[in-house]
Amino acid sequence: MERRQRRNPSSAFSSTSSSSSRFRSEKFSRNPPKNSNLQDDARHLKSRDWKSQRPEREVEKEQDSYNLPSIVGTCPFMCPAGERAQRERLRDLAVFERLNGNPGKTSPTLAVKKSTIATKHTQASDVRSLPVLEETLNYLLNLLDSMEHPFEVVHDFIFDRTRSIRQDLSMQNIINDQTIHMYEEMVKFHIISHHKLLTCSSRPNFSSVHYLNMEQLKKCLTSLYALYEENRDSNSIYENEPEFRSFHVLLHLGSNSQPLGESLSLWLSHVPSAILKSKEMFFARRLLRFFRMGNYKRFLCTTATEASCLQFYIIEPYINEVRALALSCVNSCGYIHHPYPIAHLSKLFMMKELDVEPFCNACGLKISTDEQGNKFLATKQKNFHYPKDVFPSYCLLGLEHFKR
Amino acid sequence: MAYLSMGEAHRRITEYLNRFSDVVLNQDGSSLKQLLSVSSNSPLLLSLADALNLFHDYNRLLKQSDRFSQISEIVSPLFRSIQNFRLGNLLDSYNAFEKAANAFLQEFRNWESAWALEALYVIAYEIRVLAERADRELVSVGKTPEKLKGAGSFLMKVFGVLAGKGPKRVGALYVTCQLFKVYFKLGTVHLCRSVIRSIETARIFDFEEFPVRDKVTYMYYTGRLEVFNENFPSADQKLSYALTHCNPRREANIRMILKYLIPVKLSVGVLPKKWLLEKYNLIEYSNVIQALKRGDLRLLRHALQDHEDRFLRSGVYLVLEKLELQVYQRLVKKIYIIQKQKDPSKAHQIKLEVIVKALKWLEMDMDVDEVECIMSILIYKNLMKGYFAHKSKVVVLSKQDPFPKLNGKPVNS
Repeated sequence: MERRQRRNPSSAFSSTSSSSSRFRSEKFSRNPPKNSNLQDDARHLKSRDWKSQRPEREVEKEQDSYNLPSIVGTCPFMCPAGERAQRERLRDLAVFERLNGNPGKTSPTLAVKKSTIATKHTQASDVRSLPVLEETLNYLLNLLDSMEHPFEVVHDFIFDRTRSIRQDLSMQNIINDQTIHMYEEMVKFHIISHHKLLTCSSRPNFSSVHYLNMEQLKKCLTSLYALYEENRDSNSIYENEPEFRSFHVLLHLGSNSQPLGESLSLWLSHVPSAILKSKEMFFARRLLRFFRMGNYKRFLCTTATEASCLQFYIIEPYINEVRALALSCVNSCGYIHHPYPIAHLSKLFMMKELDVEPFCNACGLKISTDEQGNKFLATKQKNFHYPKDVFPSYCLLGLEHFKR
Repeated sequence: MAYLSMGEAHRRITEYLNRFSDVVLNQDGSSLKQLLSVSSNSPLLLSLADALNLFHDYNRLLKQSDRFSQISEIVSPLFRSIQNFRLGNLLDSYNAFEKAANAFLQEFRNWESAWALEALYVIAYEIRVLAERADRELVSVGKTPEKLKGAGSFLMKVFGVLAGKGPKRVGALYVTCQLFKVYFKLGTVHLCRSVIRSIETARIFDFEEFPVRDKVTYMYYTGRLEVFNENFPSADQKLSYALTHCNPRREANIRMILKYLIPVKLSVGVLPKKWLLEKYNLIEYSNVIQALKRGDLRLLRHALQDHEDRFLRSGVYLVLEKLELQVYQRLVKKIYIIQKQKDPSKAHQIKLEVIVKALKWLEMDMDVDEVECIMSILIYKNLMKGYFAHKSKVVVLSKQDPFPKLNGKPVNS
């Protein structure tokens, strides 16, 4: 670089330091005490126009109460009485809400408020209080184990009703430990759905259900992260925060990255150090590194041995992509006179031997058999392509038992 | 503070008012800007601030003469801002300045020529800086910082005023850069997109017309956005532009450009010389570069670990991590060179066991299967030419150009 003699007095740059450049007060005292009454809550919440201040808190954008004053909910039921009566009349009751299967009759223990659009005219009596919201969420999540109805039906119901819970929460601007816990449970629901929906390919529009679920998952996560930030007390982190943060990293697996519209590098630059160094984040970051490098071996091994259940559900759709990459590498770089035994492929893909051949076929490749009946993959075949469907997923061998 | 008499205070304020009024009348932009730089603590403004803090009834002075009627909308809140700044009331100072700035912008619209552009730059700069300080004050008392966001809105207004056909449009890039600084500080980097779109696609703007200094800043920030999105060719082009056009005396600025340009260059296989790192104090990269030169995977891992926080905060960590494949390539190349010296006819065949051993020597525990995986990836991504023989556990390299160079392109995804 040559030196020039002229002096330019303008200052082109500000002195941005490399440390975190966001303002975060250590004295935020936003948590209402756990047993506060409604009046205390109201006092805390006054003049707190959160949403216009924090652009990254995207709580249900389409129903955002940007300019609505925050309410204190007083509805003591899972569903406001008015709505209950109206839906009975209109026979607009979900299967779970019907009393003895009667599509025109429900009860306070069965009806759950539907998700809706908040308006200026929303009454406090239509908004459920925090304890009621907690009860409602528990009730809904217990339905997940219900065997009576197909999963899509269960999913649809819980999807909508949990969305309504989030609406009630955001209308009241409640930002405390209980809210965080509730959001964590809702994220879990979406992740479990993400996994279960993939196996219900019976409906013709399942992929749109799956897509919508993914959208909600991301929205919930974004809101949850904002809650963690706003609720942070000096240098502490929430117990589950590292795992839930790791989900964001894992969602960046896959060739179509940037699912949340923001670069992962930018996101990581704002994550507190304690979280970055956690075991869960460490796992997610390593996995991402293996994926980006193409180290299919380590990717599959590490997933099998270290992923938690929820993490695995997020990673699951990418496993076949990685296996396909491995297959492509073997096919294009393997010596043509050394065909690859499928026993080895099975080890490489961490897949059962009898799944190897259908998988290779799904990628456009053929398996040959020699005189002894051994199966192998001849390399340098021409028709390789990535499998069209994510599934079937062919179980990943070596998966440890998950602790729920 | 030295004793200041009421009379003297009165005099200072009147002098400032006269000066302001004259400057506007004479359309003297460079003099005007000195009267507006609240945060600069210039002797002029400091002495004025003291006067204002003593003689509180300055609004009466403004009403006294018709001369000041045109400027009073601007100067009255400006005085409040200067006064409060001196007292350390940063929130009040900002709020007052915002009023003054809006009043100024109104007048600016009416002035046909671009004589006051430099003064407008000062307004744009000051509103950002004062907002940052106001937010800091808010945070320190446990409130939500919101002023910088407000400053951003004001700057968008300014941009709107400048985005027209006349001579004022040449100021739009400066304002854009102030907006970038606001968005980067707030972390709302995605908001840069709309301004970028305006600058790059609107027909009224000709990029070459803008002042060099603004072009450099613009390319720096848009280059950084490309780094966040890992568009390396584009990042290279933008940051290199900033580097070549940056004033070489501005070493701090050059350092900032290099901080992002170096990882980009490394990703396309271009290594900076050691003196560059030393001159601009970027030695955090030196081990990374050494690792690339030596094929030393352990060194790369350590370098990333040692400076993990710094690299993560600046957003280059993932970029540097990706260099691992190039380090592997270099390692295998070294083995190849050594083998060539021993026996040129067999050099192109490398036993996987040898690579395992080399990696063990680097304290990296990898089994043959993983090494085979890495080798196949290197071949797949065209960092190596050849094939691997699974049965004999050997990598066979092509006799011609077995280690293609990147040639300014990033590794194939």
